[in-house]
Amino acid sequence: MTWDMTGPWLTIVLASLSAGLTAGFVMHRSDFCVTAMFRDLFLFRDAYLLRMLVLLVVVSMLLFELARWSGRLTPYPFPLLGPPSAASMVGGFLFGIGMVLAGGCVVGTLYKLGAGSVASGVAFLGMLAGSALYAEFHPVWSDFAKAAQIEARAITLPQWLGLPPSALILPAAALGAVLLLRWYRAGALTRISHAAGHLPPWQAALILAGVGLFSYLLVGMPLGITTSYAKLGATIETWLWPEHVAGLAYFSSQPLHYTPPLADRPIQGGPGPGLDAIAAIQYPLIVGILLGACVSAVRVGEFRVRFGTPPRQLASALIGGILLGLSARMVPGCNIWHLWGGIPILALQSLLFVLGLVPGTWLGSRLLVRFVIR
Amino acid sequence: MKAPLLTQPLPRADTAKVIDLDIRGQICPSCLLLTLRTVNQNCAALRKGECEVRVLTDDRQATGTIPEAVAKMGYRAEVVNTPGGYRIRIFHP
Repeated sequence: MTWDMTGPWLTIVLASLSAGLTAGFVMHRSDFCVTAMFRDLFLFRDAYLLRMLVLLVVVSMLLFELARWSGRLTPYPFPLLGPPSAASMVGGFLFGIGMVLAGGCVVGTLYKLGAGSVASGVAFLGMLAGSALYAEFHPVWSDFAKAAQIEARAITLPQWLGLPPSALILPAAALGAVLLLRWYRAGALTRISHAAGHLPPWQAALILAGVGLFSYLLVGMPLGITTSYAKLGATIETWLWPEHVAGLAYFSSQPLHYTPPLADRPIQGGPGPGLDAIAAIQYPLIVGILLGACVSAVRVGEFRVRFGTPPRQLASALIGGILLGLSARMVPGCNIWHLWGGIPILALQSLLFVLGLVPGTWLGSRLLVRFVIR
Repeated sequence: MKAPLLTQPLPRADTAKVIDLDIRGQICPSCLLLTLRTVNQNCAALRKGECEVRVLTDDRQATGTIPEAVAKMGYRAEVVNTPGGYRIRIFHP
């Protein structure tokens, strides 16, 4: 398949690139680190950043619902979400360990790398390796995921319970809003920062919720990038062992097949090497986040290639990166995809992912303090 | 919420011993963890004003978390943005 730069392709590439640029810039300015949101709860009993995640989810719930009522949120639920399986919980658990050891999640690593972090660069390489490694045992894992399936037809919790989406999403958003109001009154949604050009995380949460809606409206799904890590890993692997890559079932699969919002015919894509729909959606997003963070760092005079990372931490970043790459394929999907996209529509796979992610982050935090930072 | 950045170098307490911590280039959350560990290890001297801790970091988040964490322990922190990174001075007021 080639990209015909008329019709949906150009819209998708440009929308993803601008979403990435905005997200990268905003995340760097506010240090919107999703790993820290969970990790700091365990390490420092600090829930400040986690409150920002609640804000992002509640606002996304309302934005997605408004867009759905107006008939603009197609397809609903968005593509690539599967039926719930306990495999997503196992994947989430490993993902939690990986993101703490790597010093950032898949997207967090990108914005830190964009600002010059060498440790994040090592984690990024680990993710490519881990994503490609998954292809080696995909058939076994895929069988396990099917055997561990909890429900075959429903994608979201409302579907499972036979309810209209609003019947669950609106009460959940209202509950979140009550919490946010209490935190706001207690002054728990702001913190003094001395960082140059600092963007308060609550503002970042609002902007990122808007970016998620923007992506859903124009691309047909919220932000997600990890399938293209497998694609990039496979592309590199093809240069080394072309026959081996061609023989792996995972790299010839085409899990994405949908009609984008502004298109008249379906497009498809998968994790194998090649420029397909996955590449058109996710590569510009990766480039955008890197560039957006880089521009932000340069503008406050803080772009520095940061060497001097202790070897123990570099090893941790590499191991964490490999774990992240592997587990993101096992789930499938990363934390941004599930927390910012799936949870707002109450996707069952995303809820299971979070159930695994939280204890995984706890274990990762223990390992980090015990073996890495000393 | 923003706080004004200090542009002048921090006054150096002549009598106090300075413990320097360079945490640039390290993965998160090294900055907060190592700072809190150092502060705890030297709490007696810090409280008597015999020493102060000076952190050098490129972690933007730490410019918010460190002052808040040490304030809870009864210390003060001053942050200066320098070309080499953020310098955070921790002392007992």
